[in-house]
Amino acid sequence: MTEAIEQEEILGKAYDFGLIRRLWQFIIPYKRLFLLSLLLLPLQQAFGLAQPYLMKVGIDQYIASKNLWGLQNVMLLFLAALIGETLTVFAQYYFSMLVAQRCLADLRVAIFSHVQKLPTSYFDRNPVGRLVTRMTTDVDVLQEMFAAGVITLASDFVMVVWIVGIMFYLDIELALVSLALIPPMALAINFFRVKARRTYRQIRVRIARINAYLGEAISGMAVIQLFAREQKTYREFEALNADHRDAYHLSNLYEAGLYSMVEAAGSVSVGLLLWYGGGEVLHGIIGIGTLVAFNEYIHRFFVPLRDFSQKYTVMQSAMASAERIFHLLDTPVDIANPKTPQVPKPFRGEVVFDRVWFHYKAGEPVLKNVSFRIEPGEKVAVVGATGSGKTTTIKLLNRLYDIQKGAIKVSGVDVRDWDLRALRRHIGVVLQDVFLFSGDVRANLALGNPSIPLERIREAAEIANADRFIRRLPDGYAAHVRERGSNFSGGQRQLLSLARVLVYQPEILVMDEATSSIDTETEALIQDALEKVMRDRTCLLIAHRLSTIRNADRIIVLHHGEVREVGSHAELMERQGIYYRLYQLQYEREELKLAAHDLGAKLLA
Amino acid sequence: MGRISQYIWRYWRHYLFGGLCLIGTATLVMWIPWWIREAIRIIENGGALRDVRYYVLLIIAAAIAQGFVRTYSRALIFNAGRNVEYDLRNDLFAHLEKLPLSFYHSQRTGDLMSRVINDISAVRTMLGPGVLNFANAPLYYVYAVALMLSMDVRMTLAALAPFPLLIYVARRFRGRIMKSSLEVQQQMSALSSHVQENLSGMHVVKAYAQEEFQTQHFIGLNKDYEVKSMEMAKMRGIVNPVMQGINGLTVLIVIWYGGIRVMRGDLLVADIVAFIAYLNVLAWPTAAFGWMLSLVERGRAAMRRLDEILEVKPEITDPRAPIAIGAIKDGIEFRDVAFAYERQRNGHPALSAINFTLPVGRSVGLVGRVGSGKSTLAQLVPRLIDVSSGAIFLDGQDIRQVELRDLRRLIGYVPQEPFLFSTSLKANLGLGKEQCSPDELARATAIARLDRDLEIFPLGLDTVVGERGVTLSGGQKQRATLARALVLDPPVLILDDCLSSVDAQTEAEILHGLRAILKEKTCLIISHRISAVREADEILVLDEGAIIERGNHDELIRRGGVYAELWQQQRLSEELEEI
Repeated sequence: MTEAIEQEEILGKAYDFGLIRRLWQFIIPYKRLFLLSLLLLPLQQAFGLAQPYLMKVGIDQYIASKNLWGLQNVMLLFLAALIGETLTVFAQYYFSMLVAQRCLADLRVAIFSHVQKLPTSYFDRNPVGRLVTRMTTDVDVLQEMFAAGVITLASDFVMVVWIVGIMFYLDIELALVSLALIPPMALAINFFRVKARRTYRQIRVRIARINAYLGEAISGMAVIQLFAREQKTYREFEALNADHRDAYHLSNLYEAGLYSMVEAAGSVSVGLLLWYGGGEVLHGIIGIGTLVAFNEYIHRFFVPLRDFSQKYTVMQSAMASAERIFHLLDTPVDIANPKTPQVPKPFRGEVVFDRVWFHYKAGEPVLKNVSFRIEPGEKVAVVGATGSGKTTTIKLLNRLYDIQKGAIKVSGVDVRDWDLRALRRHIGVVLQDVFLFSGDVRANLALGNPSIPLERIREAAEIANADRFIRRLPDGYAAHVRERGSNFSGGQRQLLSLARVLVYQPEILVMDEATSSIDTETEALIQDALEKVMRDRTCLLIAHRLSTIRNADRIIVLHHGEVREVGSHAELMERQGIYYRLYQLQYEREELKLAAHDLGAKLLA
Repeated sequence: MGRISQYIWRYWRHYLFGGLCLIGTATLVMWIPWWIREAIRIIENGGALRDVRYYVLLIIAAAIAQGFVRTYSRALIFNAGRNVEYDLRNDLFAHLEKLPLSFYHSQRTGDLMSRVINDISAVRTMLGPGVLNFANAPLYYVYAVALMLSMDVRMTLAALAPFPLLIYVARRFRGRIMKSSLEVQQQMSALSSHVQENLSGMHVVKAYAQEEFQTQHFIGLNKDYEVKSMEMAKMRGIVNPVMQGINGLTVLIVIWYGGIRVMRGDLLVADIVAFIAYLNVLAWPTAAFGWMLSLVERGRAAMRRLDEILEVKPEITDPRAPIAIGAIKDGIEFRDVAFAYERQRNGHPALSAINFTLPVGRSVGLVGRVGSGKSTLAQLVPRLIDVSSGAIFLDGQDIRQVELRDLRRLIGYVPQEPFLFSTSLKANLGLGKEQCSPDELARATAIARLDRDLEIFPLGLDTVVGERGVTLSGGQKQRATLARALVLDPPVLILDDCLSSVDAQTEAEILHGLRAILKEKTCLIISHRISAVREADEILVLDEGAIIERGNHDELIRRGGVYAELWQQQRLSEELEEI
């Protein structure tokens, strides 16, 4: 809704040469096709405008002299012009649409791939829906411009020039009479245009208000009902709605007036033509055919004038869309690949946080002077209460965000100097909320890389204990995954994400463990898979499971963004500090449950 | 089409006068070529210029008159469409206001919005431009064909000979274009869902360096879209010039055949001119016929979708014979209350066997894990949702016997999710009252501890809250919603975990302030923090929709159950915070 208002704010110009120049960049690859479609315009119009002239010739030269043969020839020419017009109109439209579709497809790809490079923080600020709109609705508006706006506007202009030229060629005095109404018409059209633009703008503001109000009312309906505000809200909505309707009533009047005025002016011009031209014919100065031709030309002259206001509107919204699109394309890519990207070889796999400071929002540091080191092959668990900053460490390691102070080094090289792709390939991430893409299981495990053989995928899935349930799916590895993986259980999704790590064989594993409860059988499968995945890897674990902590070589305790304690489980318990309390708070119950389970098992045995 | 005709009937005057103006316009439009013919006839026969000028004056007069009548016809009919849009939007809004919370849980706001926006617009287009063109087409046909026949029957038949071809082309391509445009739409939705998914999973895409594969996939879909769009463009590109060409063909026939007849001397050039003029008049309604049909089809489909919303029965309604209720004397009682969401299959109810009383002057605390049913229980009291079985009594009366307005007026409800409207703070706080005095506002903001924030805001109570209150912090929003309920000074206060974003110190101050006013009130406090409920007269512990423990704080601690464990954990976290 704010978007609708934002749209309004930048609406206004129908031509912005800066924007047009940038759009032109996308047309350049197809400039030959574009040129061709432009060159077809005068040709198409020549075919069209030849027709009234042929009428004149037919009437004045052949019908008047009863030359049947001559009439036949002229009519055959007329037919040829008709066919020529039909073909060129088609070809012109086809080529211009081809240019439009191709360059807008390029534009869409340009937006998409730019968005892929935008920093993660951008997505925290901008709702997904708005970005989708840029690639769909806004680009479509530009297509509308190609189809109904810029080219036809240009063609209308050329057409008007043609007609005026022909009229003057045929008869200067008659041309002046026929076009006598043009200057006052131009003034009147301009008057309507200014009025219409003002009401159009008003309408956009008002519809934006209605939609904003409606959206808010729908989201806050419970509050409206609780406070028995239905009637008051309804009255407010009705008032906004009435404002919008009234603005349209005015706009309807302007549009209808403009349309009717142009139509009337056309007929009045014909009247003037007859008034003046009738005398000329009677005096034998011109033939009656000239009169007929002029009648036709006047008719064709007024059509583009009539449609002008509509095209103007199209251009206005196209410019607004283009502006929004380029604004997005101009958003800087904060986290870019370094100029001389490094890929250290051999990859050792140690991770160093060196006095790292980080904040999402200035003045609210999330990590304060955090330092630690993870040796190759070492498994380190990070624990802490909610808001301690533990999840943030993961996002920094693979450079989803850049830190403000200090350094993070992987294999001895600062992550900011790493080749971004290579860095992320070396780090496998398993997140709490496992995100699956719609598609099939195989594509999800290989993340869309078709060059990874099914054998390798199957092997990975087998190690990760995912193979069994995948095979049981109706289509096995080709089974369909719905949007966000909604047709898989939480446990299955976790197994899949572990298999994904094994497919890619990253040297470093980073995991934010899920907290959601999973049935005991799957839980056992996950535990087992996890152990295999963690083997021989450098691991940074945000642990929620007691077993994960126990398997860790070292535990780092983050508290309010600072490293407060480091050591093994036993050492930290002995200290009776933060970890001791955290343990009681988060893990003790689980331990009791496990103990009870073990006891039960022993008793059964 | 039942509902739509009701709307149309409301504006029968617009349509009637608009229709009359259309007939007037058509009449004038049709006479102009006739007079042109008369004028040219005089010229052709070498008559007097004065006679020509008589017809010219008629033409100019008709043209100007036509300008006015046409303006009215268009404005009237387009306005009727806008009026229906206005009514429909109001009615839909009024209907939405009656629908219960459960309806909004089953719908996404975005879907609902786009329905209301796009479908109403489609209905409007059908009733405005759709009706206009639909009425115009037969009018023009009848007029033009009649006048042509009156001039010359054989010429008319010859001129109209290509029309069957025209209709054939229009019909043949209409189906194909519609099919093609459906495919384009489908391809577009595939494209946008890919974008949607890609953006939602951006952290995964980045973490696995999948940008390139994602882009490749996008390029593929994008190419498909381009191809489908071009297919449609090709068809559109064929239809329009072909229709135009056929129209040109009719003109050719008129000149050729008419020319021969003129040479024979049984027709005048003036007749040819008139024929061409009439054929030009027919060109637009003929070309637009397919477009018109699609407007109507789209409008009807949109109306069907809107009907779906309008036909949702408001489940929670006023009783037929409501019982008047003034002040509360005894209090609220839950008796064997159970509640199950419709979408919950195989019966795990959200609440079952809930029994407790909430006497006037006492407070009940409600604790439990996330998803234990606490908020659901709270929503039952103001009938945001209705019990599935059992009943809730207010002074011994089933709350379903009380008018909704009366019931909700008694309750100050502070929801979990603080929702503020994007107006001034003052308007937000005074939401439940027509008028509220500065004293009332001051009292409420003092208890909710919003007073300190107001001092900081330069505009104080006139501070405009951004959309959904984004300019306020979470704690400020919660305190504002609390103040909004307190302004009403309601006999019943329901606080649904409404202090979760407020720091411990402020929470203690607020609870202290509340205690003073709670003496004559009935209060239900839900919280995940024990500190907020520990002073309550009775505390209920909810788990999986059932009350598993009840008693006051000391009793529950002594019992050493779930509540005691929660208490222990919270003390630990507090300790941890302080380290």
